[in-house]
Amino acid sequence: MRRLSRKWLRYAKLTLPMWVGLLLAGLAWFLIPFAPPTLTTIDIGIFGLVIGLSIRNTALVAFLLGFFITGGILLVRYWDKRRVDEAHTLYADYVEDAQQKRRHFLRRLDHEIKNPLTGLRAALVNLQEAQAVDERRQAGQNADKAVERLTRLLTDLRKLADLDERPIERYAVNVPDLLDDVVDAARATPAHQGRSISLLIPKIPSPFPMLTGDRDLLVLAVYNLVENALKFTSVNDSVEVRALEDGRAIVIEVADSGAGIASDDMSKIFEELYRGSNARSTEGSGLGLALVNRIAILHGGGCGARSSQAEPRGTVFSLRLPRR
Amino acid sequence: MSIDRSTILLADDDPTIADSLAPFLERAGFHVLVVSDGVTALEKAQAHHPELIILDVLMPRMDGRETLRRLRKLNIWTPTILLTKVGEASERALALEEGADDYLNKPFDPHELLARIRAVLRRARPGERSLSSAWLLTASELVLDRRARRATLSGETIELTPKALAVLEYLMTHPDEAISRERLLDAVWGWEYPAGTRTVDTRMAELRRALDDDPSEPRFIETIPSEGYRFIASVYGEG
Repeated sequence: MRRLSRKWLRYAKLTLPMWVGLLLAGLAWFLIPFAPPTLTTIDIGIFGLVIGLSIRNTALVAFLLGFFITGGILLVRYWDKRRVDEAHTLYADYVEDAQQKRRHFLRRLDHEIKNPLTGLRAALVNLQEAQAVDERRQAGQNADKAVERLTRLLTDLRKLADLDERPIERYAVNVPDLLDDVVDAARATPAHQGRSISLLIPKIPSPFPMLTGDRDLLVLAVYNLVENALKFTSVNDSVEVRALEDGRAIVIEVADSGAGIASDDMSKIFEELYRGSNARSTEGSGLGLALVNRIAILHGGGCGARSSQAEPRGTVFSLRLPRR
Repeated sequence: MSIDRSTILLADDDPTIADSLAPFLERAGFHVLVVSDGVTALEKAQAHHPELIILDVLMPRMDGRETLRRLRKLNIWTPTILLTKVGEASERALALEEGADDYLNKPFDPHELLARIRAVLRRARPGERSLSSAWLLTASELVLDRRARRATLSGETIELTPKALAVLEYLMTHPDEAISRERLLDAVWGWEYPAGTRTVDTRMAELRRALDDDPSEPRFIETIPSEGYRFIASVYGEG
């Protein structure tokens, strides 16, 4: 019994510097604020050594242990700090980007609301002051038009917000069927008067593969693209809707032979409320392509565009969606 | 025209809306009581027994949903139209669940509100619970369990997508009423868009297939050319 305890005592005395060093290093780890001056940590290590040495003269062991423990701690802390710094930078970039987007969005929203509201105010003044029946009727119609524009903007904003909030349906979708519906619907609109839309769907060798997704949202997306194509082209241009597949993905393309999009605008056209240089005078909420993009992402796919303003000019929007 | 002298309780905290809607409804022949919060709406509903209540969802003191829930708890089955707030997708489902007879998304055309008011009043049987507040709807062999989100035909569950089920629910709670595609889109999808009317037709085809309903000789859903759809079977509500 006595031999055993003497043995333990010897061990304890021998390793005492190590324990003291460890204890102090541990305290340094937990108690010192996140990034202490390097010197402080080294000081504490040396302090540990001195205390250890003064208790038991095993200088070499104590020195080596104290040195390595302090060194190790410094290394880990340095590595940690670098990682946290990197994360901070990434986060700061992200926040800056989000703030920038928000600023752009608000400025554009302000612009989109300002115009119809000004029109509405003018129409209301005319309605109150005009004497002739015709003038009053005209003022009423103008007010209606402004309200319609605001309503459309609001509806599209709501669609965007809804897409983020509610889950999408996932059912088998027949693509040729869907495109048929979209083209039919587009043909029925006034914008289609005197225009032609061709629909190309490969039929050989097997029926076109099915897609999994929310049919209603996909109709909305493709319809937006077709509507855009009709809006930004003239009677002499043609519009083509086509579906392709490469075994892994289904690509729906809407192509037109219109004036094309300026290359400066290309990177921003999918942003909310962004209007390209040739889209400023055209009716629309400025949210159509943002909606299309959002719907593609919700389906695990993506959206793209290529355009040329030089001959042969035109624009192709593509919607890439995973196969079922 | 006894309908047109009905009293309507309009609860909306936004004076720009209430101040314009009230005279519009008065011009249409209704007597309109305007309140600006849910608590007052509840008191007035008990004191004046209006024929119809229009509730905005977002109101101070007590919101429209809570007001409606309390009314129903007090056994007051006055037909109610909820004015939902833009951008709240779940609001629509909730409105259906809490026994609103109809609901409209802001911004709406006042004429549309008037049309809804008239339709709701036509459907209403004073003092009785309306179909909108029933959990189980039965139309001959078709049964819709709204809580379980399940429809059965002759005892067998029919496979329906959530949208098709929501369409069936809306039709069954508004039987014998011509419902336009735009209205269905607004009610079930929450927003309308040009290609949307075709979307409704696609769902309707799905629904008819599931119900084994022949469009040329419909038992349940009738197509009204250039107008929309109508649920023609008699519907009974329970629970």
